[in-house]
Amino acid sequence: MPVLTEDDIYRTSTQYRLWSFTRESLSSLRSTTNQSAAEGVRAALKSIHSQQTAGESEGQRSHDEVTRPTNYLKEVDCLSVEEELKLVGFYCVKTMQFADFCEFPTNVKATAVQYLKRFYLSNSPMTYHPKEMMPSAIFLATKTENHYTSLNSFVAKLQKITAEDVIAPEFLLTQGLRFTFDVRHPHRGLEGGFMELLALARGKENSVPGNTRSPGQLQQAMMELEPAKGGSKITRSAEDVVRRIQTAHGKAKDVLKTAALLTDAYFLYTSSQIWMSSLYLTDEPLARFYINSKLPSPSPIQPRLFIILKSCADLLRSSPSADPGEAEMKELMKIDKKLYKCRNPEKIDLVGINKAQKREGHEDGLDDKLIKKRKLERQKSEKEAEDIFGPALEIK
Amino acid sequence: MAFSPVITHEAASSIKVTATKAKSLAVRTNSTSQNEALSEAKSGGQELAERLNQETKDKYVKDKKLGEGTYAIVYLGHLKADPSSLVAIKKIKVNTEYRDGLSMDAIREVKYLQELSHPNIIALHAVFSSKNQNLNLVLEFLPLGDLEILIKDSEGIRYGTAEVKAWMGMLGRAVWFCHENFVLHRDIKPNNLLIAADGEVKLADFGLARSFADPYRPMTSQVITRWYRPPELLFGARYYSGAVDVWSMGTVFAELILRVPFLPGNTDLHQLELICNAIGTPTEENWPGISKLDGYVKFDKAITVPIRGKDFYLSRFGTAGPVGVDLLMSMLALDPRKRCTARQMLEHKWWMTEPQPTAKEDLPKKSGGLEKMGDDLKRRGGEIEDGRGDKVARKLNFGAAK
Repeated sequence: MPVLTEDDIYRTSTQYRLWSFTRESLSSLRSTTNQSAAEGVRAALKSIHSQQTAGESEGQRSHDEVTRPTNYLKEVDCLSVEEELKLVGFYCVKTMQFADFCEFPTNVKATAVQYLKRFYLSNSPMTYHPKEMMPSAIFLATKTENHYTSLNSFVAKLQKITAEDVIAPEFLLTQGLRFTFDVRHPHRGLEGGFMELLALARGKENSVPGNTRSPGQLQQAMMELEPAKGGSKITRSAEDVVRRIQTAHGKAKDVLKTAALLTDAYFLYTSSQIWMSSLYLTDEPLARFYINSKLPSPSPIQPRLFIILKSCADLLRSSPSADPGEAEMKELMKIDKKLYKCRNPEKIDLVGINKAQKREGHEDGLDDKLIKKRKLERQKSEKEAEDIFGPALEIK
Repeated sequence: MAFSPVITHEAASSIKVTATKAKSLAVRTNSTSQNEALSEAKSGGQELAERLNQETKDKYVKDKKLGEGTYAIVYLGHLKADPSSLVAIKKIKVNTEYRDGLSMDAIREVKYLQELSHPNIIALHAVFSSKNQNLNLVLEFLPLGDLEILIKDSEGIRYGTAEVKAWMGMLGRAVWFCHENFVLHRDIKPNNLLIAADGEVKLADFGLARSFADPYRPMTSQVITRWYRPPELLFGARYYSGAVDVWSMGTVFAELILRVPFLPGNTDLHQLELICNAIGTPTEENWPGISKLDGYVKFDKAITVPIRGKDFYLSRFGTAGPVGVDLLMSMLALDPRKRCTARQMLEHKWWMTEPQPTAKEDLPKKSGGLEKMGDDLKRRGGEIEDGRGDKVARKLNFGAAK
């Protein structure tokens, strides 16, 4: 029977099997999703347009259809992949703020953000607006991360969002997640790594196979490490080292709570690579020391590992801000305005679609009048819902 | 330290579901280039996720209904491309009373079965949704019933220590693998141990499973079917470990030998009384800190039973031999910190002593397991069937289940 390594176990995880990509495969997937969503938008607008023309002859134009320009078909300007990414990124930030507001633990917050990011690999904001998917993603994360809050108390925290609004997109979301709910986060690994570093700094035993240095030697080596970038003087006492580790710990934790969630880190790297990169980013000499203590050189893995950590650290450094500034907000408003014109009209009424799907297979659908009535009601409440989190995109 | 190389995916094909997974390996390997990452969408209109769902759904055909409960309907099914390759399809019912979307049971079951690939854990081949948004779980087909029916059929089925050792070994490996993946099963009992055509035992029903909690984060104590529930949970412990599953395994071990449930309590208090009588009364002396547990019940000094010695166990479980009794005793230690871990259980010297475990092909079998699978899979976690202990089903208190 083959030896079972941690790597083998990791490779059986859905995070690896379904949600890990190369940069190339990730970007090609996104552009495919974008293109097919754009096609969907154009096709849907076209069908509405032809209905509209037919309706005109019967003199039954509804108010909604009148407002649409008749020549938009040719020039419907769809979102680009970059614009989609920015918009989804913004709602990831919103998700984090909302989770903080509800005082949900980090794992709920982090999972909800990854659910959104995963969902929008195969879905476009042009089809499903992230604003509508967000409450559902957070609610699902409370369930999958063992922080279940009843739907009623969850909704009570939201303004103008009904229980139906939260539940209606859940099915779409789970389908987009391909029915995989487990997300491997780097947070626990970081805590473990820092406990080990603290033990090393205090001269406690470090029994790693292949390590030839005594605990005392390791402790000494730690005191002689060059300072982190921006760090002032060379550390001298064991207590200095402990303080240094605590500082790095705090900073690395922040990186995991923001940059690691807002970039593509989870798609491109393993959770252990991500937490080590967060250390690498905040205190490179300490990260090198830690890895040296685990993989005494010469090790064939070490140089490869450092290349990965560096590239992941670069990615983390490039993260969009968790607190978008004025310029970014302006751009986001522009994207959202653009989106208003290129949303797939067939997919706007999620509550209605949800009801219709649930009904299917039971009885035949309700009569057209009811559907139309419901649609109008929905559109009305849609409009009202615009300011659920402030009007369209405003944050504060 | 584990080191995962840069992920390089080969050209991704769309989802691939192999009906029979390599069982000779400890885990499913990806050697067959089983890359399931999202492939590029070819057709416009239908969305990628929707299309993938349809593709999965189209791979299977539902045949006859095997069983129906309040929670799920179980069907026999097969791969469209290969009618001889059977599967069980568990369709989770949309609960009309539960308005909070996908239920916790369904989420837990799908979440953990998607991650755990092991020869002794029921394989989840695929998940798809049908039109009216019902969740369908395509599960490994396990036609030979479960351990409960073998235990109960004391007239028709005879087995000895070698068989018990084989079954306990398979159960131990399943639980070890769960714990290695930081998952607590929290509902181990004989009718959640299903039997495959080749005799392999498979741990099923992950409806109460959860990941290990972070330190200082409480969990609910309202888990595990009463007869198999460890004393710390009966005392309301909110911080616990894999030791809860080990206790359950210990009670299953005892039941396999006795051929009747070892500790069939009628109420939680009765359950504690049975534990006191069979194993000993938990006290501050044999279990430091116990009086701090929320639900701690102090027993009258006069009726305190000292921890039972080896002789006591030998008189009831002598067929397991003195080494087997050692293992049983360490699995049933009152103080969870003194209980052996799943790993220690697998490293116990009992496995090295005679008799050797029976080869799985030679284990006793009982026909008529098909319907049993339907019954087993339709249940909700924590339930005991009617007639086997009345109304002992526990409902999870989700408000407290954080």
